[in-house]
Amino acid sequence: MDLTLIQRTFPFFLEASWITVQISVLALLLGFLVAIVLVAARLSTFLIFRSLARIYISVFRGTPCLVQLFIIYFGGPQVGLELEPFAAGVIGLGLNIAAYMAESIRGAIINVDPGQEEAARSIGFGRGQTLWLIKLPQAAKLMIRPLGVNAVALIKGSALVSTISVVELSYTAQRFISSTYKPFEIFMVSALLYIVMVYSVRFIVDYLDNRFAAR
Amino acid sequence: MLIKKLKDFIVTSTVLAGALVFTSAVHADDLKSIKDAQEIRIAMSGQYVPFSFVNENNKVVGFDASISEALAERMGVKVTIITTPFDGIIAGLLAKKYDAIIASMTITPERQRAVDFVGPYYHAGRTIVVKDNSSIKSFDDLKDVTVGVTLGDAHDKWARARGNLKVRSYKGLQEMLVDLDAGRIDALVMDSVPVLVAVKETGQKVRIITPPESDGGIEGMGIALRKNNPELKATMQKALEEMLADGTYEKISMKWIGNDIR
Repeated sequence: MDLTLIQRTFPFFLEASWITVQISVLALLLGFLVAIVLVAARLSTFLIFRSLARIYISVFRGTPCLVQLFIIYFGGPQVGLELEPFAAGVIGLGLNIAAYMAESIRGAIINVDPGQEEAARSIGFGRGQTLWLIKLPQAAKLMIRPLGVNAVALIKGSALVSTISVVELSYTAQRFISSTYKPFEIFMVSALLYIVMVYSVRFIVDYLDNRFAAR
Repeated sequence: MLIKKLKDFIVTSTVLAGALVFTSAVHADDLKSIKDAQEIRIAMSGQYVPFSFVNENNKVVGFDASISEALAERMGVKVTIITTPFDGIIAGLLAKKYDAIIASMTITPERQRAVDFVGPYYHAGRTIVVKDNSSIKSFDDLKDVTVGVTLGDAHDKWARARGNLKVRSYKGLQEMLVDLDAGRIDALVMDSVPVLVAVKETGQKVRIITPPESDGGIEGMGIALRKNNPELKATMQKALEEMLADGTYEKISMKWIGNDIR
């Protein structure tokens, strides 16, 4: 086990991890915003919105994230969409995770005790008011863990942007393996850094859960 | 009625004129946009010792990188080196993510349908590597066995075209060497130089088999450019030829390979 190699290359792995963190955070934010729109559409009274949202969710969950990234990055220019690798990565990952997050959010809303909706409607709350004032605050507690799962999936999936030339943690590991011929040490370091990131998410999820969903 | 016909005529001719303007839009040679930006973006894999790899400071260096820098200098522009996995490298070029590929890419008729090549900027032999104690003793033994190749490269196509080999594609040489040692592949097909450098480092006990001339003994590597850029192509070709003549090329080749591989 070449420990000096790990010592020498560690600063570069930290830099690369920072890229991974940036991409993940931005993609999660984008994903969450899109997911909210999707959920609103899914719960809409208009059939057209519900259908469009269902199609979006099917397509983005039903095709590999890698293919989606390729279409956005390599195919984009053909329809006038020129994106830098980092931007394409954030958008691709974000749009993809939005589909999964939409289902997490919708699941949480559906699982709010139906009695709440009945009570609210019966004392005169409209559909929108019920959703915003009664259901969402209660659903918020239920969606913390599923969204945490989505976040972890995204962090691990961020390795895919190496295929569209973003030099993040996985690609940096691959480059160093090529010049040092020591795959074991290099992969160990990158795995450890991914674990740190994933555990940070878990830490946040646990904290939020205890804080807001104390039973 | 007359007014309507007149209006129709005007609308139709405007639309047709508009269409003509767009279809006759002149495509500026890439050379101009490179000179305007004072920068040329060149892509390589960054995972291919000694042609493009990262040194201790996470900077991309190697034969391909040095050639890129020297060519840019001659063209009077800055060079930005972009690393991208080899199997997507032509797609990136066609999508204008960079201006040229200097990534030890073999010039093949199939690739020439998609891109233009400047060069060849070096020649390399196709080699077949087997474990020291392998039962494959000569080129003719190379049938009905499993071979490893880099995904998407010329050896990948050659191995598949043979028809009598099981082909496993890898991202890079290091993974192939590990699998060769483990017995998952019986042989690997690669360019000669990286293999020699690699086994020197790892100390693996291997044997090199050189295929006959007809099966890609020596191949020329080219610099890939988008089609329809004759000025850029001519400028780079001239710069390359100057480098070959005045000793710059030889210095780079000796530094990274220890041999003149032109």
